[in-house]
Amino acid sequence: MRKLHSFLIVFLALTTYVSAQIRENYDLKVGLVFQKTESLYWENGVGADFTSDFLLNKQIHLKATYLTSRLGSGIGSNAILQDNFLLGADWRFRSNKDLQIMAGLNAGIFVVDYGNPIFDVLPNSSMLLSVETGLVYRFKFPVTAGLTVGYNLKSGNGVDVPGSLFPVFYRLSVFYNL
Amino acid sequence: MKKLIYISITIVSALLFAACNPTPEIDNATMLDGNQIFDASITHPEKYLVSAYLPSPTELQKDTPIIIAAHGYTATTFEWDELRDYADSAKTFYVSQVLLGGHGTSYEDFKQSSWQDWQSSIVEEYQKLSAKGFRNIYLAGSSTGAPLILQMVKSGFFANYTKPKGIFLIDPIVVSSNKTLTMVGLLGPVLGYTTVTLDSGEQGKWYIYRPQETLKELMSLIDLTRIDLQKGITLPVGTYMKVYKSAIDETADPVSAVMIYKGMQTSTGGNIEVEMIDSKIHVFTRLRGRVGVTATDVDKQQKTFKEMESKMKLIAD
Repeated sequence: MRKLHSFLIVFLALTTYVSAQIRENYDLKVGLVFQKTESLYWENGVGADFTSDFLLNKQIHLKATYLTSRLGSGIGSNAILQDNFLLGADWRFRSNKDLQIMAGLNAGIFVVDYGNPIFDVLPNSSMLLSVETGLVYRFKFPVTAGLTVGYNLKSGNGVDVPGSLFPVFYRLSVFYNL
Repeated sequence: MKKLIYISITIVSALLFAACNPTPEIDNATMLDGNQIFDASITHPEKYLVSAYLPSPTELQKDTPIIIAAHGYTATTFEWDELRDYADSAKTFYVSQVLLGGHGTSYEDFKQSSWQDWQSSIVEEYQKLSAKGFRNIYLAGSSTGAPLILQMVKSGFFANYTKPKGIFLIDPIVVSSNKTLTMVGLLGPVLGYTTVTLDSGEQGKWYIYRPQETLKELMSLIDLTRIDLQKGITLPVGTYMKVYKSAIDETADPVSAVMIYKGMQTSTGGNIEVEMIDSKIHVFTRLRGRVGVTATDVDKQQKTFKEMESKMKLIAD
């Protein structure tokens, strides 16, 4: 019980501190993300990017992304329908400049819909873990564009990871600053 | 600035050095990659190719089903020997075992071959059998043999010849289980070649060394096939197709079966047949030369051969 009280006190203190910091100065961007996997599909979707002064003077960005072949190669074709749910964090070099260099980590879940019970014997989901790096440009108007390359540390292996999870991807993101 | 130039020169030099494309050490006495061991179909085509075995077929022979069997990347006709044995015993169909171009000879031959060269021997045998008047021609492709056959369908090749009655694909590869293959364009020149380990019973039947040039060809073939399947491929009129795929396969990713199922359709717009096999063996119909084969593996192989035979009989009737 004492442990729970201590945890609640720490949690409330942290929440209050973070809320206060966020209120002071933060950037929240939302927008579109386009991903091309090397030798596989276009998977497009939406994303959000958050940073604040308390995140080391906006050098750290927190991200949430949803990407799917349903909004990419799956449109009007026989491509496999698959979804990526991602959370990530990246570090920005030259964070006070318009052209920034980013390096980050993403984690999440990959889910595949094979579309027929014949394939129920195959793995249809996997944890995602990827590294990503590239350039981000902050325009004079409230738009930011990023061009990055990433590598899935876990990819399909013919055994226990869906085979349509490939390692190398290229990503273009266009975010609007709210 | 000077420092940047020095770093650039060093990196470029390192890449050039790495890209010198090393060649492997080949033991001619034991390796198919050398210049002493060749696939037996080269010296005795009449034992492997029906077009050579039956140069002037009778009407009865022309009505007997023939399976043109295409093996996989780096393999030889050995991969389909057990189906031929089954056919010799059943006496209800023939098997024509084609040796893919660039295969079964030497590392140098293989290195210089393209996937179109690999495919050419399937095309030639089909043309010969069609010209001789055989009426019940089937195709079977294992592993890389499968996308080679799918490319024949996609190209419209069969429009000018006797239509195939059916196509059987065993552990087809459209996606490699080893995803490093997708980076072969970048890593290939650095590696030069890759090496595989063979069981003792497989020595002399497969190439041990895989030149990066052929890995690029393999990647081009399967990537093209994946894109074609994404757009959709329609079988010739009256052609049946079935895919048999091991559910666990560390060579040809099982998702290949999903892509073929989604991408192929019969001439009437129907689905093809797919059966996921409870097996961990890549090309589960080839057991000879493997270590640790179980009675269950043999059952699955024989059941598949029997089913292929029954299907051909059903179509003929």
